[in-house]
Amino acid sequence: MSASDASLTRRRWLGLAAGAAGAALAPPARAQVPRLEGLPKRGGTLALRGVDPLHFDGMLTSSFKTHALLAFTHSRLVRHRAGPSVVPGTFPIEGDLAESWTQPTETTYVFKLRRGVRWQPKPPVGGRELTAEDVRYSVERFLTVPGNVLASTLRLVERVEAPDRYTVRFTLKEPFAWFLDMLAAPTAVAIVAKECVDKFGDLKKLDACVGSGPWMVESYKPNQSFTLVRNPNYFVPGLPYIDRIEATVDDDAASRMSSFIAGKWDLGYDGGLVFRTEWAQIRDALRQRRPTLRTADVLANIMSHVSMRADQPPFNDVRVRRAMSLAVDRQAIMDATSEGTGALNPPIPAGLKEWSLPIAQLGDGARYYKRDLVEARRLLAAAGHPNGLPASVCFTTYGSAILVDQAQLILAQLKEAGIDARLDQKEYGAYFSTCFVGKFDSLAFGPQPNFLEPDGFLTQYQPGEPRNQSHVDDPVATDLILRQRRTLDVMKRRELIHAVQRHLAAQQYYVAIHSGLSVAVWDSALKNYGPNLGYDLGGRLTAAWLDR
Amino acid sequence: MLRRYLARRLLVAIPSLLIATAIVFTLPRLIPGDAVQLMLAETSYAKDIDELRAKLGLDRPFHVQYVEWLGRAARGDLGESLWTRRPVLAELAQRLPVTAELALYATVIALVIAVPVGVLAAARQDSVADYVVRSLAILGLSVPGFWLATLLIVLPAIWWGWRPVTGFVEFRADPLGHVGQLVLPAVILGVAAAAALMRLTRGMLLEVLRQDYVRTAWAKGLAERAVVIKHGLRNAVIPVVTLLGTQLPQILGGRRIIETKIGLPGVSRFLFDAINQRDYPVIQGVNLLVVSTIVVVNLAVDALYAVLDPRIRY
Repeated sequence: MSASDASLTRRRWLGLAAGAAGAALAPPARAQVPRLEGLPKRGGTLALRGVDPLHFDGMLTSSFKTHALLAFTHSRLVRHRAGPSVVPGTFPIEGDLAESWTQPTETTYVFKLRRGVRWQPKPPVGGRELTAEDVRYSVERFLTVPGNVLASTLRLVERVEAPDRYTVRFTLKEPFAWFLDMLAAPTAVAIVAKECVDKFGDLKKLDACVGSGPWMVESYKPNQSFTLVRNPNYFVPGLPYIDRIEATVDDDAASRMSSFIAGKWDLGYDGGLVFRTEWAQIRDALRQRRPTLRTADVLANIMSHVSMRADQPPFNDVRVRRAMSLAVDRQAIMDATSEGTGALNPPIPAGLKEWSLPIAQLGDGARYYKRDLVEARRLLAAAGHPNGLPASVCFTTYGSAILVDQAQLILAQLKEAGIDARLDQKEYGAYFSTCFVGKFDSLAFGPQPNFLEPDGFLTQYQPGEPRNQSHVDDPVATDLILRQRRTLDVMKRRELIHAVQRHLAAQQYYVAIHSGLSVAVWDSALKNYGPNLGYDLGGRLTAAWLDR
Repeated sequence: MLRRYLARRLLVAIPSLLIATAIVFTLPRLIPGDAVQLMLAETSYAKDIDELRAKLGLDRPFHVQYVEWLGRAARGDLGESLWTRRPVLAELAQRLPVTAELALYATVIALVIAVPVGVLAAARQDSVADYVVRSLAILGLSVPGFWLATLLIVLPAIWWGWRPVTGFVEFRADPLGHVGQLVLPAVILGVAAAAALMRLTRGMLLEVLRQDYVRTAWAKGLAERAVVIKHGLRNAVIPVVTLLGTQLPQILGGRRIIETKIGLPGVSRFLFDAINQRDYPVIQGVNLLVVSTIVVVNLAVDALYAVLDPRIRY
């Protein structure tokens, strides 16, 4: 299936949602039907690299380290379709616990649950039936538990009800076009059991990790490994095919590369992917040692940018921001740090293929993505800085040599335009609690959360949002962002998102650099597997099997 | 006498421990960002921060938190991790044996290399063997442990498609595998420690071998072995023991990179993650352990002086 096929599925579905309010929408049947890879085989053990979960309560952290694990063990109402037919960077939605859903009004969604779904056979839940009340409870907890950093993703939910055992009704405060995407995201509401919260107080402990997903946690040893075993109660008959998943925790880059070369893992060690720069280091060894590995290029949705204090001089002057953008040579940074592979990013990263506008189509703002030192200096002079200006760049390394290289290149390039920026390097925790949430003096540089839909990226332009690092308060942008959020018609919403990208490109509140390519890599024995962005490796493996 | 001395030192250690705990309690809280801000990450709305801080008890006055923690620590309760809710003491009980075992192996390897080689270099001063040994010692001091570890992990994988054991093998599950997985990190740590110990052994032994009583021993016609080992080494080894005493806590508390590279669930990794997450109970617990170890090791070293040198009396 091609990219256009996949996006058509999503477009068709969302278009129907917008155009036929009140009509029943039958989501695609569970779409992970094996194709072209022979008959499915039950059994086997899949080995992969894991990360230590911070804990097991997905409602008390936004960390991918927890959510990546819960994607194996917990179900959601809806989810992103997975498999070889899905084009990476697209996220068609299908039912998970929900068998079907309707949208009777612009602000009401009614989900019909699958019948006979059972919790995993572990105490204190003990395999009882999962009902609408469990979904209602989970959503309520998601919205109200103190410390849920993700609650804002569903802040437009006014109430959730369970009118009968298999029906869940959401009422929103206003139309919210991304509602289903929010429910489908791997960081969204994992359906949890009230018994676990009652018994343990929260869900941080391993014993509280009881879901209805395809696998169950058998053991977890901090800093070492975790083992998942097949959930015998899983609600799709026959799935999952893989009996056991053994994940080894490995936090060291050299060690990870060695393990992969030595054949310890069946999948690329970053959620199925390997960063291109690391791939370049191990590619030749892998050709020798593991010649049957399968690979595919995937454009990342991780985007690093320079944020600026747009609420105070000198960066409240659009000419200074444009000069910043013109001073940065994005292509040179991509060549130097990503082997020249990847894509330049407009305000919505290029990795989100359905929503990102190509640079060339950004209108007047497109010219600020190409380096022009003469124009940069002219703009600075016009803004009252003929001799350039000083600045400081708040930064943390995240332990990444690539990020350090990028920061150094940016500093050098800014200096050539007369912007004398010095690096203000902070320890990770200090950076995260200050600069990452906009508490810095002039500039900051670093990677941003990698959302799977454009709305998350647009919150960094909204007043009052902690993610608004540049302190943007732009009525035009705010209006466009709110309108797209309320526009259910997909085509119209896309037009609005394109319009806001054009507007933001001209304003240059953030100087975004490229996103690199990653290489999706997996053992050829793994069948019916399709790579994608995001943490939902559990979802992508549910219908995969091993043919060794 | 020794007992009285040790008792006196232990009493003196109490205020040292208290000061150390106060510093350990204070410093992480002075770094920008606390556990709550890191938990709430990019969506840290002010209201949520206050609410969660109150829930975790971090909104109370600093001195109240300190006194409460100290009281619980005195009763053997180091609290729970703010992030995982796992008891700190239980985590330490699991991790300390791994780190302690690694430290033991590294120390043994360091001693096995350093003392004989240092003695040989001193006994054959300015010979080819001496130059070779001294050069190797400089090399051992110069090569960073993390670099050596990286090479030892990466090169076998590239050359032979093999890498050392990934993950931690428990002794109960596989005794040989358990010891085997510790050999590589112990050698890396041991080589670095051995270089310094060897140079000190050589230097101190050379000094002792020039003393009058050694000359007398030679004049009496004693064998070289007796002169160098019995009369020389025993008197030269005290500074070596002191250095060893300072290296042991370093191995316990500061080997995060080696533990991470080899995949060992040790104390250093635990501490590093806790600092990144501002997990105060864990930081306090681990540092209390390290400080206590330093106190105990120093006491043991002092006691050993008297055993090694009969002239020392307490």
